[in-house]
Amino acid sequence: MDKYIRNIYKGVYTVLVGMRITIRQFFEPNVTHQYPYEHDFEKKQNVREIPKGYRGQLYNRIEDCIGCKKCEMICPVDCITIEGTKLPKGEQLWDSMNVVHLKDGREIIGLIEGSDKKLNLDEPITLTNTTSRQGPQEVIDRLEESGDENRTQTIPGGEASRVVTRNPVVFYLDQFDIDMSLCMYCGLCTEVCPTECLTMKDTLEGIEYSSFDRNDLIFEFDKQEMYGKDETEEVEAAD
Amino acid sequence: MESTQQTESRIIELKPFTDEMIVNMGPQHPSTHGVLRLELRLDGEIVREAIPHIGYLHRCFEKHSENLSYPQIIPFTDRMDYVAAMNQNWGFCLAVEKLLEADETKDFEVPERAEYLRVLICELNRIASHLLSFGTYGMDIGAFTPFLYAFRDRERLLLLFEKVCGARLTYNYIRIGGVSEIIPLEPGSVAEQNYLDEIEEFLDYFEPKIDEYNDLLTSNSIFSERTMGVAVMPAEMAISYGATGPNLRGSGVDWDLRRDEPYSIYDRFEFDVPVAKDIPELGAVVGDCWSRYKVRMDEMKESVKIVRQILAEGLPDGPVMADLKAVRPPQGEIYFRSEAPRGELGFYIVSDGTPKPVRVKGRSPCFSALSALQELSRGLMVADIIAIIGSIDIVMGEVDR
Repeated sequence: MDKYIRNIYKGVYTVLVGMRITIRQFFEPNVTHQYPYEHDFEKKQNVREIPKGYRGQLYNRIEDCIGCKKCEMICPVDCITIEGTKLPKGEQLWDSMNVVHLKDGREIIGLIEGSDKKLNLDEPITLTNTTSRQGPQEVIDRLEESGDENRTQTIPGGEASRVVTRNPVVFYLDQFDIDMSLCMYCGLCTEVCPTECLTMKDTLEGIEYSSFDRNDLIFEFDKQEMYGKDETEEVEAAD
Repeated sequence: MESTQQTESRIIELKPFTDEMIVNMGPQHPSTHGVLRLELRLDGEIVREAIPHIGYLHRCFEKHSENLSYPQIIPFTDRMDYVAAMNQNWGFCLAVEKLLEADETKDFEVPERAEYLRVLICELNRIASHLLSFGTYGMDIGAFTPFLYAFRDRERLLLLFEKVCGARLTYNYIRIGGVSEIIPLEPGSVAEQNYLDEIEEFLDYFEPKIDEYNDLLTSNSIFSERTMGVAVMPAEMAISYGATGPNLRGSGVDWDLRRDEPYSIYDRFEFDVPVAKDIPELGAVVGDCWSRYKVRMDEMKESVKIVRQILAEGLPDGPVMADLKAVRPPQGEIYFRSEAPRGELGFYIVSDGTPKPVRVKGRSPCFSALSALQELSRGLMVADIIAIIGSIDIVMGEVDR
């Protein structure tokens, strides 16, 4: 009988100890995000910040892509399919150029005089035939359509974070498909990419792209985006 | 329901014949921590036999590895124990690095900074893993609140991992020869300082919480009645079944690879190895469910201790990746074991000198622990099965691989 009562006392007491901890939570702010309700899908505003470098959807900036197929080789699950044809000898899609990445995220494309040498980023860099674009993640217009081209621009020393030489493209990419339903988000392909054109989106678009159809998850980064729509129109006219 | 043939006639004579019933528990049972099917042979409510059927999460990790190069295998190890994926990455990388060291023509060493980052992140990952174990165990037993608290704290850890490697669960952070550089953490930069400050802030927040959780669940009378003295695994049995990690220490065996066979830089840190003891005034017996659970709660404190030592020392300068052109280990074989949150994680690798391994075998601590279930559960009640599965803390992704 004594043990019975002691048991009841112990049960009630230890529960009360726990209750004292839980009751404190009533006076503390909520930590739960009511995800679909507190989320503005129209404005793509999330309730929490996505850290820089998050591994989201794969995105290929196709105009920088040289078709080296390194990403296709390193992919553990073979979700990248690349078909490329080599251009005839002597032909190339554009001349060699330099891309200056600024520290604020902008990129300026142009030619640097004597760019064979290693550049000192602390000194001013002079670019000729420039064109600029905002942000690396955006879909980029063709170079010719850009408004501020063919200028000479000098970047003050210390503003550039790195300078990349973009070699002339001798590959004509017929197909660059990424099947995101197969992707395992390991990020190995973005590490081997020599031109750093294959990236993973660390924005909300890179996370919320679910679909009802599996085929919608195959993203095609192909020549239509790269070389303009001319070719498609020709095919349609021929039909 | 199906009756089985009574083979032992003696039992029929002694007591009235009762049908034995075969009940399938799982594969989609919330307390099986994955997809585990238990075939229970019941006599009333007494479990005569519990046969685990595994393989629902089998993803051919070992066969896949034969067709992939070494760096490509690391994302697959993430999918083994997805609760503590950093430790799985590390276990595999340690084995490959050991194999690479055998090649005398190449001078190869993991940089100091990478070692510190590895220990830092893996100990945080150990906390996250034990938090999940604590939360779900409470939920199995019937306490829902600890589950929410554990996930609240684990979320903060996942945000920390997200910042350093860009993923929440499948990190692919620790690489052969160092750690990933996807998100650069420059030595001495503001970003590094902010990151370490965030970790310290978390530890300051989390350390008192462990005592709170002990008040909330560990000493709770209902919880301890369900777990104390249930399914006692003596030390001999734990060793013979190959149970490792908290399950082994819960049986009173003082064995931790981090201390007894120090790999990486674990010999530089001071930490205790919690081992279960008899507590007569509470009613806990060495090797019961409660002891195994308590070892995990104490281990979280030790992990906090290790992380605090790293924060006090600060991360050393230098690169985070060794100068490795290509991962091409020499011909040979290696078995290397490390202490993952769930026990001894071993990788056996056979190399023929090509960039792809000939054979990779993962030694899963959960698989060994699960094999003891059949003997542990014999003669107990159905409700105790839930308490056992929660206490041996299995992750089916690692059992099946």
